[in-house]
Parts: sequence; structure tokens; C-alpha cells
Amino acid sequence: MKLLVCVTKTPETTAKIAFTANGTAFDTNGVQYIMNPYDEWYALVRALELKEAQGGSVCLINVGSPSNDTVIRKGLAIGADEAVRINAEPKSSLYVAKQIANYAKSEGFDIVFAGKESIDYNGSEVSAMIAELLDVPFISYASHMELEGNVATVSRDIEGGTEVVEVATPFVISAAKGLAEQRIPNMRGIMMAKRKPLKVVEPIAADDLTEAVGYELPPAKSAVKLIDPENMDELVRLLSEEAKVI
Amino acid sequence: MAEYMSMNTLRFIIHEMLQVEKLCALPRYQDYDKESFDILLDSTKAYADKALFPVFKEMDEQPARFENGKVIVHPSVGQIMKDSGERGAIGSTFDYEVGGLQLPHVLHSAVTHIAQSANNSLPGYTGLTGGAANLIISFGEQSLIEKFVPKMMKGEWAGTMCLTEPQAGSSLSDITTAASPNDDGSYQIKGQKIFISGGDHEYSENFVHLVLARVDGAPLGTKGISLFVVPKFRIKEDETLEPNDVITAGDFQKMGQKGYCTTHLVFGENDNCQGWLVGTKNKGLKHMFQMMNGARIDVGLTAVSTATAAYHASLQYAKERPQGRRVESGGVKNASEEQTPIINHPDVRRMLLLQKSITEGAIALLLQASLYQDMSEAGPEEDRVRYHDLLELLTPIAKTYPSEMGRVSISNGVQVLGGYGFCTDFPLEQYYRDIRIMALYEGTTGIQSLDLLGRKVIMKNGEAMKHLTKEIIETITNAANYDDLKPYAEELKNASKQLQEVIMHLVQYAMKGEHERFIADATVFMDFMSTITIAWQWLKMATVAKTALITGNTTFETSFYENKIHTMRFFFKYELPKIHGLKVTLMRPESLTILEQDQSILA
Repeated sequence: MKLLVCVTKTPETTAKIAFTANGTAFDTNGVQYIMNPYDEWYALVRALELKEAQGGSVCLINVGSPSNDTVIRKGLAIGADEAVRINAEPKSSLYVAKQIANYAKSEGFDIVFAGKESIDYNGSEVSAMIAELLDVPFISYASHMELEGNVATVSRDIEGGTEVVEVATPFVISAAKGLAEQRIPNMRGIMMAKRKPLKVVEPIAADDLTEAVGYELPPAKSAVKLIDPENMDELVRLLSEEAKVI
Repeated sequence: MAEYMSMNTLRFIIHEMLQVEKLCALPRYQDYDKESFDILLDSTKAYADKALFPVFKEMDEQPARFENGKVIVHPSVGQIMKDSGERGAIGSTFDYEVGGLQLPHVLHSAVTHIAQSANNSLPGYTGLTGGAANLIISFGEQSLIEKFVPKMMKGEWAGTMCLTEPQAGSSLSDITTAASPNDDGSYQIKGQKIFISGGDHEYSENFVHLVLARVDGAPLGTKGISLFVVPKFRIKEDETLEPNDVITAGDFQKMGQKGYCTTHLVFGENDNCQGWLVGTKNKGLKHMFQMMNGARIDVGLTAVSTATAAYHASLQYAKERPQGRRVESGGVKNASEEQTPIINHPDVRRMLLLQKSITEGAIALLLQASLYQDMSEAGPEEDRVRYHDLLELLTPIAKTYPSEMGRVSISNGVQVLGGYGFCTDFPLEQYYRDIRIMALYEGTTGIQSLDLLGRKVIMKNGEAMKHLTKEIIETITNAANYDDLKPYAEELKNASKQLQEVIMHLVQYAMKGEHERFIADATVFMDFMSTITIAWQWLKMATVAKTALITGNTTFETSFYENKIHTMRFFFKYELPKIHGLKVTLMRPESLTILEQDQSILA
């Protein structure tokens, strides 16, 4: 079974977010990066579990510059067999999806995994676009998955409950919490990662349909206001006039 | 999850200050690169977040104890032994040939710092196991290595070091545990050992004790001590285990590190305890000191990590706790203003900066010492002795400064929290109790100070001191390239000169044959020299930070580097000047502690 896992790099969760170039670009100064947790903890680990149970191989794919190699190596240290980096700046979701779909099509993977979203832009777009470009089924927000032969039974968390679907390979799946349990690379894995193949592939020409024209931070949180429990009128006034929730 | 250490500070010291990736050019470390170091650090943090920090408080509330002849410890002990074996963390610095990963010591120390900051009780179990395995590998016969080491490295068997006896603690020359030769080359072991960390519990199927004992007829004193491997269970020919007459008599109940069992072991009460000689007969203490030196670095790491975690806990509290108002320019406070977080009060900020300067200065020194160890073992042949001497000289300081000043640091952390610092709702009181042992085990502060002044400072006619002075001068020269660091470079130059003066003054007593007088104030000297040593580390960090700011070659936010320079300035204003008072004490000719009169002077 050939499994492809899409991984992306995101700022560390404690990174201070700021913008430069008049609010049109993310300020990378002093930012430390990690592998997107949904890709690492759930998508990659479930792929590894399937490989361990049924045989096959797990390949990582990332679109980005050489500075992404540390994140990719971590995925190899966790257990992936090989990796591919498309050597291009990830300009937009569609651009990334086109690069990955092009590679996936040429290699013929049974299942393409991705996290349900990246924790920086929260788009949840790339995996759906890959499925569309490959013309295969797409299962989003998967929290449980079993594979019998070439048919997967997948649970998806939906509003107020769970939806269970069946899908035959090949397909694309986006991983949510619950699909697997985080694995931490051990020291032997870290050393072996250096010897695993990391192939660098040049990008194909691909158009963008969107362009980010600006970013802005949410307003700063205001201080907590303590209201005298006897003064309900003031509480109602603040909720109505300032918070505008009633 | 609460922060308990700073990964950025660790990365800064490892990569920017010590430039450890240069090690990868050495044949021993050629399989590593910066990426693998980074993944290792991040993975350790993830493991510590998941498995170590969450049980830190719980292990204090459910202390190790002795019930019905068994030592009961927290189940996490079993988990960390298993995980560490699987993760390759036990013996990671060992050679490939014996199953190790040839990880540089400096990375091992960095990893230990992360783990110990998360939980200062748990990593000791695996650390001791690795240390004991290393002793067997270094001095034991091949048959002993094959018999014991693989299972220790897998975390299935635990290792301990057994030195102290009820009547012999700091004075190991007085141990009485006996070893009588058997016909098959093994020895009958008989005696008692106390304060044995990780000495017994239900989560290891065997315990491999490294025991100091005297072979029948051995010379008195330290020259008659031999080292033995004495398992709790002997291995029979069919590979099954049988009891080896090692009985656990109890578990000491302690004020801190309650999750780390501390046992009392009785060997050979039924005359059926077998041990095997490790290394050369009567050279046991020398062999053991290989493990002791590593253990002393580990204690320093545990101490600084405990203090680091306490610092971050008090920092978080200070950011969140509103109390009082800032004094305005007219000396008044505006009562109608909202209260300000206490981090904005100068005295609270002073206490926080004191903690930051002590803990970050100490971790820099420990990592520096670990790098010297790497260079002494794997560096260019012609430099190895120099690095070994530097490591030898700095080891007592690297153990003692974090143990002693870490306690002061945590005390200030408690103070930041006010009354809450004294309450079990917050972790500060636990950190304060936990760190107290660090100045006691693996050689008390008194023993370390005697080692520093009485042995290391004067070893090889002061050769190690010359190497250290050269390192300090190099730092001073680099700092002096920047105008705003020049005054601090001058201060350290002056401090270094005073260090030489004090040493010359004290050595005179030794030269006159007044040896007791020479070492009487060794602990004061330790305080004096370690303060200068930490100032050296701070100036080094500040110079690296300044260079990054000027060249723009930065990994972290600009403020991160500015903070490092600010903290150096704090250390030079609030801590380094203490050496002047200490020097007065050390140079003063009065002798008030040497026993010239009877004990009635203490009445």
C-alpha cells in the first residue's frame, strides 16, 4: 500500500504573530517553526499504523524552501520511509494542491493523508483541492478509520454526532483529533532520518486564483470588568452597549 | 500547560553560544547534524510535556514508601524506564559497539535539562541506570558487559551506585562492606548501604548495584576499596533469575524529591550474596569517580532545572497577579487606578531577574562543561588533556553553584508569590523542598569545595587554572570589541585578577604546611570563584547576543537578545560585586574555625 502524507510547516504555538510590508506579509523574524500538529499527530501516525499493519510505504510531501527540511526530517524520524519536497514557496492553497496532486498522480498513491487544517491559516482547503484535482473521493475531518481490503470505514465528527462513511481507495482524507495518537520520535529514529531519502522536485507551473492583500491582528483583549452583584443595571448596560451581546 | 523552561534559551546556548554543530566535524559525531540536534531537543520537550510534567506534583503527593517489605513508587517510574529504553535514551552517549548512539555529552545535558525541568524525580532512575552501565562497560570484563548492559540499556533492569554506609558518608575511606573471594572468581559481599537512590521498586525485574567494598586484607583507607557489580537477582545458566541475598530494609522519607526512592540495602545477611569485581582490585574508588563526575554534572543539571522551573512558575504568577500600584513621580499612588501586575514593581522584578541570572548562567556553565567533556573525549588529540583539565576544574562548580544558588533562586521565587509561595496550591514550595538535597548528595558542598580548592585549583601546578584564565581572557577580549560591553569586560578582568590574588594568598598556607588552614574556608572560596565563573558565562552570552544584534544574524526576536544583555548587566550589578566581600573574608588572617580550642567556643 502506497501512502502519501502532506505535511506543512507552521509557527510554534507560542510564536508572536506580527506582519510586515504594510500588513501584507507575515513577519518571520524570531519565529520558530514546527510541523503542523494535525499533519504530524494524526495524519502521519495513522498512515504509519496502516503501513505497520498491512505493509507498504509512507512518503511525506511538502511544498516549501530548504528551510522546511528540519520539519520534514522530523516526519522521517517518526517513521516515514521517504520524503519529497517541492522546491517552491507555498503561495496559496491552490498552488500547493496543484503541486501535490501533480506528484501524487505520477506516483499513484492509494491514500493521501493531510491534517484537517494548518494551525496558522486554518484554511482546510488543500486536501479537498488535491482530491478534486486527482478526481478521487475526499473524506474530511476523519476521527477514526479502519481499512478492510481496499475499503475504508471512516468516522467523521459532525455537528451533534458522528457520520460513518465507506470509501474505496484511492481517496484523500483529512485527519482530525482522534484518528491516531501522537508519536514522539526516538533517538534511533532521529539518527536514521538523516539516511532516509529526501527528494527535491522542482515545481510545475501553476496559476494562483487568489492573492492575499492584507492581514490584521484581532483587537487586543480588554481588561476584565468587575461589576458589583447588586448593580445588575450596569451589567445589562455593559452587555448591551459595549459587548453588544444582548 | 505551564511553562517550566525556555527552549529558546536552550537553543541559543547550544547553537549560538557553544556552536555545538561544530562537533559534527569530529569523526565520533559525524552522523549528527544541526537538524538532528533540533529534532532531538523538540522531541524531548514533547515527551516531557506529555509524560514527565503532568505527574510532577502527583509524585510529591504520593511519595515513594516502604510497605510490607516492598518499595512502592509512582507508576510513572515503570513508564519512564520502558520509554527511555525504547527511545534509546539510556546510554545514548555510549559507543555504537555497545548499543549506544554516540550522542555528544552536551546534547545529553541539554536533553536532561528539559526532562529535569519537567520533573526532577523521574529522570534520575534512568540516569543512574545509564551511569552504572557505563561503569561496567568502562572497567568490567566482557562477560559482565554482555550479562548486564543490554537489559539496562533497554530499561528492563535498573542500575544504582552504592557508596554510603551508615557510618561512612562523606568519608568513604571508612566503609566496611566486605568482599571475600569465592573459588569461581566471584566474591561474597556482606554489608549495608544507605541512601541508595532508585535502589528497589516493582517496575524493574532486576537491580544492578555497583557496590564499593573491601576485599579481605585490603589496605586501610581509600586505597583498599574495590568496585563490584552485585545484582539483586543472579542470572542462572538457563537465563532465569534467582535471589542474590540483597534485602531492602527500608525507604528513607525525605523533605523533597519524594518520588525518587532512597533505599537502605542489606547485602549478604544470609551469606549468600555474590558480587563480581569490576576493574582492578583496590582501584574501585578511582573507577567509581568516573561515574561520580558524571553524576555531579547530572546533579548540577537537576538543580538548575529545578530552579528554572521555579523561575518560570514565579514569572507566570508575577504577570498575572495584580497587587498595588506603581509609585508615580511625585511619590504618590493613584488609588483610583486599577492594580498593576506585580511584575511591574521594581523589587519583584529584581527577584525575577535574580532567578533568571542564576538559572541561565548556571545552565550555560553546565553545557559549557559538557562540551569540554566532548572535546576531551573526541576532540583533536593535542587538545584533549586541556579540555579534560577544564572539565575537572569546573565540575565541582557546575555541581555546587546550581545547588546552592538555585536554592537562593527558588527562595526568591517563593517570595514573589508572597504567602501563596508557602502554600501547596502552587509548586514553588515543592521546588524549594526538592532542591535542598542537591547540595548534599553526590558530594556535599563542603566536599565539592575541598575538591575545588584542595585538589583542582592546584592540580598540575595550576595548569587547569591557567586554561580557565585563558578562556576567560578570550571572552573579555571578544566583549571589549563592543563599546557598551567594555565596562563589563573590565569588571570581569578585575575579578579574574582578584581570583588569582586569593589563590596565591591561600596557597601560601599549603606551602607553609598549614593544610587545614589552606582548606578551612574552601566553601567561601567556592562561593567566590563560582560567582566569577558565572559572570564569565554571562559576558560570553551577552557578547554573542550583541554580535547577533549588530550583524542581524538572528534566530530569535530582537528583544530576546536584548534581554540576555540586560540580564548580564543585572548579574554584574547585583551578584558579581559580592566577590569583594568574600575576598575580604578569604584574605583576612584571623583563623576562627580551626579547632585550636575545645568545643566550648560554640557553647
